[in-house]
Amino acid sequence: MGQRSGVGLVELAILENLDARRAWPGWRPARCLKVLAALEDDLGLARGYAYQVLIDMALPWKLRVPLVEGQGNFGGRGNDPPASPSYTEARLSPAGQIALAAERGQIAPVPIGLINGNTHRQGTRPPFRPAAVIDAIRQVLARPRLPAGQITDLVGPPDFITGCAVTGDLAALAAGQRTELGLQARVTVTDAAHVSARVAKAAVPGHRPRGITRDPGRPVIIVDNFPPYANPDDIAMSISKRGQEYAWHARHPELSALTGLPIKEVMDLTSRGDYWFTCLPANGTDPELLRDQLLKVHGVTIYVSVGLPRPLPAMIRTWTRTYQHEDVQASLSALENALASRQQ
Amino acid sequence: MAAEPVSFVLVGSAALWLRGEQVPVGDADVVIEPGEANLRRLHEAMTALAIRPETVPAVHRLRDLTVATALTSYGRLDCLLERGRRDWGQLRQGAGYVAVADAPVLVASADDAWALRRRFKK
Repeated sequence: MGQRSGVGLVELAILENLDARRAWPGWRPARCLKVLAALEDDLGLARGYAYQVLIDMALPWKLRVPLVEGQGNFGGRGNDPPASPSYTEARLSPAGQIALAAERGQIAPVPIGLINGNTHRQGTRPPFRPAAVIDAIRQVLARPRLPAGQITDLVGPPDFITGCAVTGDLAALAAGQRTELGLQARVTVTDAAHVSARVAKAAVPGHRPRGITRDPGRPVIIVDNFPPYANPDDIAMSISKRGQEYAWHARHPELSALTGLPIKEVMDLTSRGDYWFTCLPANGTDPELLRDQLLKVHGVTIYVSVGLPRPLPAMIRTWTRTYQHEDVQASLSALENALASRQQ
Repeated sequence: MAAEPVSFVLVGSAALWLRGEQVPVGDADVVIEPGEANLRRLHEAMTALAIRPETVPAVHRLRDLTVATALTSYGRLDCLLERGRRDWGQLRQGAGYVAVADAPVLVASADDAWALRRRFKK
């Protein structure tokens, strides 16, 4: 791991290569195949592995601070894979450029590793909200004796970019213990009229989307804000499977009632990067009850094992103490600007 | 899996949880009884349970695999085939039935489940 940015070594090698090719923010991107070939020649990094890392660095639903800007098909959150590296291009994102500058000592260190975490690659460090981490570091710089509880409160809970709910023993995580977090999609009971309005809003101009049901007041359940590492196509398939009738249902009616889902139809309404689908409850089903059952489906809720190497306040304090002689404020401002430029 | 006609012993965290231990359950680990007929039933059960049935190994592959995994709507299912070929008799002897709703499930004894967990989960 790069000590001054917290970015992984393979990620840094990719950033270095993009920089050497002048694939800078706003400049012409480099063909991914060329980058991968160079990484294989120089470092012996297998292309398939390096490509996976490169893709992850560009995906906005995986990383709070994407280090690369991808052009071409980098794959979706469902079953659509990325295109071959012959057809994709990449360049440094503003944040990627800052990470590289920090590693080279051109600017003070930046806490990108702490913000991004590594759970997106089955690691144990969760991501945190960028503004909260930056604010906590600033506060500790200003008041080095800030109590640990206040630092934890400033950083807040882990924050996964898709907006999924996070449950679990957050105090244990902040204390540096290994624990398990539940990441939960948003499951909302609403009506068909609301769904139709959302579909119409997202529809391509001139295209008339089909209705959900003739009765606008009919209860419908919306599932969205999926956990970042769950595949929405698999979740839709999971729910459909649980709604089907099986031969064993007659033999074990109690188990069937416990595990089956009274669903009439599941509709994938994903459009233009907004992943969501609806479940139409079977006639006579209490939608609130179905909502609770849906939350138990694997994918709608997933569990990730997390842990920090030390208590969170100690990590923030050590980081600020180690680099306090450098102009950390300036590098934090540069990172903030990079993130703001991405949001524009 | 409890409702399918496959002969297996539940081990791992799910077994310990059913035995009353306070452990987080991340997946289901089942030791499969060796034998051709049971492997065929396992293949059918995995195909029915898997979110992507095309990823379930064919029966002839199940004969040689150490572990067959399927991602289901209930979570990850790991079928421990090699463990079944080696220790089925011993695990079956210590196991007992636990009711999951109205389906009886053969669950390893807490001692056996802990022993396997200590051996493979460091």
